Amino acid sequence: MSMSRRGFVGSLAVGAGAFSSGAADAGTIEHFEGYPDRYGLLHDTTLCVGCRSCEVACAEVNALPKPRQPVGDLDVFETVRRTRATAFTVVNRYQDGDDGNPPVYRKLQCMHCNEPCCAAVCLVHAFTKTPEGPVLYDPEVCIGCRYCIMACPYYALSYEYDNPIDPQVMRCTMCYPRIKEGLNPGCADACPAGAITFGRREDLLKVARDRIRKFPERYINHVFGEYEFGGTSWLMLAGVPFRELDLHEGVTHESLPAIGTSYLSVVPLIVTIYPGLLAAFYAFTKRKDKLAKRELEAALAEARTRGEEEMKAKLSNAAERAKKDKEKAVEVAVRKALAEQGEGGPS
Amino acid sequence: MYHTLFDFLTHTEGATYILIGVLLISFIPFWKFLTEREREE
Amino acid sequence: MSVDTADSGRNGVFTPFNLISGAILLGGAIILTIRFTTGLASTTNLSDTNPWGLWIGFDVMAGVALAAGGFVISSAVFLFGMKEYQSVVRPALLTGFLGYSLVVIGLLADLGRPWRLPYPFIKQAGPTSPLFEVSLCVALYLTVLFIETTPAIFEWLGLKWWRRLVAQLTIVLTIFGLILSTMHQSTLGAMFMVTPTKLHPLWYSPHIPVQFFISAIAAGISMIIVEGWFSHRVFHHQVQISDDQFHDINFGLAKGGAVVLVTYLAVKVVALSLENEWRLLATGWGAWYLVELIGFVVAPCILFAVAYRERRLGLARMAAAMTVLGVILNRFNATFIAFNWQVPHEMRYVPAWTEVWVTVSLITFAVVVFRWIANRMPIMYEHPDYPALH
Repeated sequence: MSMSRRGFVGSLAVGAGAFSSGAADAGTIEHFEGYPDRYGLLHDTTLCVGCRSCEVACAEVNALPKPRQPVGDLDVFETVRRTRATAFTVVNRYQDGDDGNPPVYRKLQCMHCNEPCCAAVCLVHAFTKTPEGPVLYDPEVCIGCRYCIMACPYYALSYEYDNPIDPQVMRCTMCYPRIKEGLNPGCADACPAGAITFGRREDLLKVARDRIRKFPERYINHVFGEYEFGGTSWLMLAGVPFRELDLHEGVTHESLPAIGTSYLSVVPLIVTIYPGLLAAFYAFTKRKDKLAKRELEAALAEARTRGEEEMKAKLSNAAERAKKDKEKAVEVAVRKALAEQGEGGPS
Repeated sequence: MYHTLFDFLTHTEGATYILIGVLLISFIPFWKFLTEREREE
Repeated sequence: MSVDTADSGRNGVFTPFNLISGAILLGGAIILTIRFTTGLASTTNLSDTNPWGLWIGFDVMAGVALAAGGFVISSAVFLFGMKEYQSVVRPALLTGFLGYSLVVIGLLADLGRPWRLPYPFIKQAGPTSPLFEVSLCVALYLTVLFIETTPAIFEWLGLKWWRRLVAQLTIVLTIFGLILSTMHQSTLGAMFMVTPTKLHPLWYSPHIPVQFFISAIAAGISMIIVEGWFSHRVFHHQVQISDDQFHDINFGLAKGGAVVLVTYLAVKVVALSLENEWRLLATGWGAWYLVELIGFVVAPCILFAVAYRERRLGLARMAAAMTVLGVILNRFNATFIAFNWQVPHEMRYVPAWTEVWVTVSLITFAVVVFRWIANRMPIMYEHPDYPALH
């Protein structure tokens, strides 16, 4: 009888349910849907005009210094910028628009991934994925190892390297306090071109697919962030291939936590298998030593008895020979004496 | 229930660390029990 | 056996060694003071794009690999019965203990909030993190190494009861040490599994944990040869084994080194094959990869083999030095050279001279402490009052 996978998981569920209150089972093959009704943002790069109002609003909302390069200064687009400890978001220009096509801009910030790898690699669990969608960072436990910054594939995180007392990881928070109050994130409110839409992620996916369907010549037929590395809260539409916007196209749908921590399942195997295995090696070594010692003792004993017997044999031989020599000497002496007696006769 | 793989792994890997610590320590009395007669001779 | 401290002579304290090492350590202390009073930016070239640099790449990544000799040789002697290496156990364990201490000190310099180092264990744990596993294992292993170093201390202090107690723990500590070392050496490699888009595919592999573990064994064996090269000369007045015995040990290690390196080579080639990366070898990064593989894995492997076959100590030492450099290069590649390989040129990381100075200071510190201990305690020789451990 063949059991479908779901049937097998189902039976596991029954078993596991006995131990935990409906906790997830068979994590290896289970798909985690994430919190239902969580929020997201849709960034339609075809609508972005590079005004950078979002940068200004973000700085205001987060009490950060105003962007170094003022709005309207087009030289800022000469370089591709990244986020900094004092700038949670930046807008870059990826295509000049010299060739007749409109210039192409994209806004960068923390993507608030469905399965955040910053959270997975943090050794003090400083990150949490909230039910509302934003990924939050707790500076109260952070030790400053910067593994999260090293891991983030979107280069979204920054660090306060010039702070010796209480340096923190700095990043977009999806304006979590505002969301809790029912407001929109600062950037979404500030965008004059409608390039940023805030709403439930599920709804935004529908909106995005709708736009692609309605204007197929305008958009690449793909919503970036739906599945890449497990999916992100920020979804993106573009009129040019995403790799030209410095986004990794065509990556696996498996989340980075899954990829990055899969090896850790081997650790318990080492702890549970090595003791028996190494104790066995040690026992083999001691056994070999013991056998070698026993062989040596046996060889010594044998050599000793053989030596004793040889000695005994040698002694008896010597005694035997000595006796024979003595007898021969006596014989010779007697013959000599008889010979002398014979000579001393009639002459 | 766990909504994210991250939450699931946090729970299971945390529990497993504690489990293997206990298993590792308990190997020592097990080994001692197993080899008691050898060491007596 | 009376042991003169090597720096009591005509010059007293101001020997060239002491002066140079003192200057280095002083400079390091000054730089670290600046680091702790003004933040990491003033004394490092670390950035948001390059959060890990020389201090992680060398002090942590390479440091742990180079300190692997302790678990390798103690397992060989105590678990696999290779008693002919008994005389290098203590130097190797001391190297290991000092090496891991360096790792912790280097980490304290690099962490944003080093006073929070115990947080994963006392405040809040992140058990999904490979770094959590590494920190747990390193903390435990440092303890194991310390305990394994105490017999020499107890002998020096004449604490017979303590010495006997610790001697009884040898097998348990060796097994525990091998478990911990297997785990954290591998997991240091596993830390890179979360960055498939940032580490160049020639270095990135699902097998990277195994690759790190095997190369750590090679590094450990090589460090024993390198350390012995200097110790045998500097502490010659203490050495009790004959030159022949010393050579036999080195050649045995060379044999082991050859086998481990050829195994490592096979594992790396398999990784290329599994990901079908042959074409990448023809690129610029491919050439750099081949420099690491051919120059620092294949070459020392052959040298080790020839050194063992022909009993040529010089070749064995050269091979050991190349292996050590190769492991350091491999860790540098993983941490900041082949890592972020796609980042624009002007945003790539180069270590600051202050970072280099601090790293050199830490190494100097370890050498100074090693020398101080070996000059006073039975590391290079067996104390006449105490039978050999096991």
